[in-house]
Amino acid sequence: MLKLLEGPQTLGRGRIFWSCFLAVLAGALIYPLFADSYDVGNFAYFLIWIFMALGLCLMWGYGGMLSFGQTFFFGIAGYGYGVLAINMGGGTATIAALVLSVVVAMIAAGILGYFMIWGGISGIFFGIVTLSATLVLAFFLGQTAGPEWHIGPARLNGFNGMKGMDPLTVGSFDIEGSALYYLMIALIVIVYIALRMLVNSSIGNVIVATRENPQRAEMLGYDVRKYQLLTFVIGSGLAGLSGALYTSWGQFITPSSIGLPAAAMPIVWVAFSGRNDLTATLVGSFLLLFGFQTITVYSQQAALVLMGVLLLATVMLAPQGFVLGIGKLVVDWWSRRRRRDEGTALADTGRLQSDET
Amino acid sequence: MALVEVKGVSKRFGGLTAVSEVDLTVNAGEVHCLIGPNGAGKSTLFKLIVGLYPPTTGSIFFDSTDITAERPYARVQRGMSIKMQAPSVFKELPVRQNIQVALQERLSGAECAAEEERLLALLNLAEDSGKLAGALSHGQQQWLEIGMALALQPQLLLLDEPTAGMSPEETYKTGELIKSFNAQGMTVLVVEHDMAFVRQVAQRVTVLHLGKIFARGSLEAILEDEKVAEIYLGKTHAH
Amino acid sequence: MSAELFSVFYQFADVFAFLILSAAGLAIVFGMMGVINMAHGEFIMCGAYVTVGLVNLGVPLPIAQILAALTAGIIGMIVELLIVRRFYKRPLDSLLATWGLSLIVTQSMLLIVGSAVRGIGTPEGSFAIGGYTFSTYRLVLFGAAVAVLVGLYIIFMKTRFGVIARATMQNAAMAKALGARTGRIYSISFGIGTALAGLCGALYAPTMTLIPTMGATFVVESFVTVVIGGANVLLGTAPAAVFLAMIRMALNASYGQIIGQIGMLFAVILIIRVLPEGLSSVLVRRGR
Repeated sequence: MLKLLEGPQTLGRGRIFWSCFLAVLAGALIYPLFADSYDVGNFAYFLIWIFMALGLCLMWGYGGMLSFGQTFFFGIAGYGYGVLAINMGGGTATIAALVLSVVVAMIAAGILGYFMIWGGISGIFFGIVTLSATLVLAFFLGQTAGPEWHIGPARLNGFNGMKGMDPLTVGSFDIEGSALYYLMIALIVIVYIALRMLVNSSIGNVIVATRENPQRAEMLGYDVRKYQLLTFVIGSGLAGLSGALYTSWGQFITPSSIGLPAAAMPIVWVAFSGRNDLTATLVGSFLLLFGFQTITVYSQQAALVLMGVLLLATVMLAPQGFVLGIGKLVVDWWSRRRRRDEGTALADTGRLQSDET
Repeated sequence: MALVEVKGVSKRFGGLTAVSEVDLTVNAGEVHCLIGPNGAGKSTLFKLIVGLYPPTTGSIFFDSTDITAERPYARVQRGMSIKMQAPSVFKELPVRQNIQVALQERLSGAECAAEEERLLALLNLAEDSGKLAGALSHGQQQWLEIGMALALQPQLLLLDEPTAGMSPEETYKTGELIKSFNAQGMTVLVVEHDMAFVRQVAQRVTVLHLGKIFARGSLEAILEDEKVAEIYLGKTHAH
Repeated sequence: MSAELFSVFYQFADVFAFLILSAAGLAIVFGMMGVINMAHGEFIMCGAYVTVGLVNLGVPLPIAQILAALTAGIIGMIVELLIVRRFYKRPLDSLLATWGLSLIVTQSMLLIVGSAVRGIGTPEGSFAIGGYTFSTYRLVLFGAAVAVLVGLYIIFMKTRFGVIARATMQNAAMAKALGARTGRIYSISFGIGTALAGLCGALYAPTMTLIPTMGATFVVESFVTVVIGGANVLLGTAPAAVFLAMIRMALNASYGQIIGQIGMLFAVILIIRVLPEGLSSVLVRRGR
């Protein structure tokens, strides 16, 4: 099993990589001891979105399915958590609300995915159908201001958003502040490791083969539609996890976290980071979220303009992603240095440049 | 015993009839060559057999089961495997992983690894196993794809122009490879232009012309058929 | 009775016009170059703002609207030259690039212009049939949608440009080999597409509140119409709009706008399962 942690599908292997991984993890674990609780809460907030980015990375980078619907499933699970937590009465039931809301998002992904994948939708159309669904959901929720829009005692509240649900709670202990932060770190480690193992497994082999050439993959006896649906459900489910955690974190959710420009954000993170690699996505998304949050304090519009510029710049200058490009440069540089240490001659400066483009 | 039976199959694309009322039987254990001039409908017939196109009329049987409505992957699971005309490998994946994807359903763990090495050596790709498949030469991609088709250990191997772009030596080697697999019981259906190759491997030959069966029989009978020579072999006898 | 019939037609015409006007520009760009212009909504917004700006300066509405469409067309050609041109071989990247552009434009507008601009109000004028009152401007919009379809038919079927454009659409490499300047064809087509987006914004500007994010109101309709219509504007988009307008009209009438939109989306998702290549594939197949 552990062998699957490394493989041709993921960048980073060997002792050095995993030492770095553990060092970063250790840093993340002791961080709350030094920072004040406000910063820890903010940090937890960035981490919420990581799941959504990793899910998109799986679908787009590995599966070749460019879904613009991450915030659709984010919204379904986000509102789902609210409705369930309010209706089930808070307390430990919030844990069930979290799990159930993610399941609901996955079921929605299963249904939408079935129609699109079995209908043979791919490429551009996959993007615009998922985006259409996302925007329609956002418009719909925006129209639910009236008191007639409620599920049990949970009011949808239109643009003002749903509020009043409990945060995640075990017994009488609210999972907030550092507790929420540690929960996020644990979930990210689990999801990251699980996704690495998935993409390096035999299922992952079929997923990337389908991305490369669906017809050839089918001619090897795989029902590629099932693999695509699986990828879509997992990737969208992770967006759902982000959504449920988001609602629990702030105890409210509005339609603006579903529609435009929110729907574009996961695309920017993953494109900028490098969609073909989970680690690049993890690191890049975190950096972007951190930067975005820093600028948003001054002007949200300016931050969004920057996101647009980054997306445009990525596509024009580094279509494989900036973080992944830099990562590959580092790996390249490292292996050259090792080779030089071993005394083998090499001086093809051309390689560095060709990796860059 | 018939392994594949194509019964009255036609395929029309809009106004064009690519394959018309074709009956074809491939017996278990034979190497059967499908020849004919360009545009005769050979590749279309292949795609009908593996299920990439649905036929306009007619039905297709594999191992006495009607598979006309089955999707390609289901047919492959029944024991078919195809190498397509244009090499279609997974270009952005390493050579070894291409083979793995083909092998992993049948074998796992150490067995899979051993078979991987065996195939890579057989295909002369051992040294390039870490390269991306897209970086291989055209001939090597052909080999890789043949290797992927073989990795499934199919009952029926369909090869669409397996030697296109290969040197005479490589072509000869491919022929010997096909014969060795046939000797182990694999049925092979080949579309090929290279008559030297057809002579090397074929036991039975079907000639397709303008979408219809023009002639069929043993290799010798077809080679002596003057009508066949007129439409097709006349040109290729020269070399 | 005839009043009821006219009322049904009026509602249909209203939705049909909205679908055609919002989708035509997107469909042309997609049909010609295989590119989905994610900044389509921003060109619509551009058309609306230019119209309102000019009207506030005293320019008569119809002239302002034509100028607005031209402005959007010219900006479109510049965008094609600077950005879109590089991505004709990478359609997904063109999607991302234009989405980046869309973000930049919307948010910059919010920064510079602020959220709302004073509108100009729907041109007055209404008429009554039976007990019902109808707005004349809504019929003008329907007329404009029909005019757009007729105009596109003439441009693409009857002019020299159209012949070359259709040849380029069929086989760009071959058209190029035969001497067509495909670069210029693409540039003009993109310009026509964005001009139509601008026209859409210009025509709807009097009927709605102007905000920089108004493009989003149109994109769902334009996306689904193109998804259902496929790559052929004349054979695909128009029938798709008729079909979707009927669904939408029926649902709008009984359940309101938002359910109409949701219902339309469900219909689209069901249809792509049955007809993956869109309506135009069926029509084209029939035509053979």
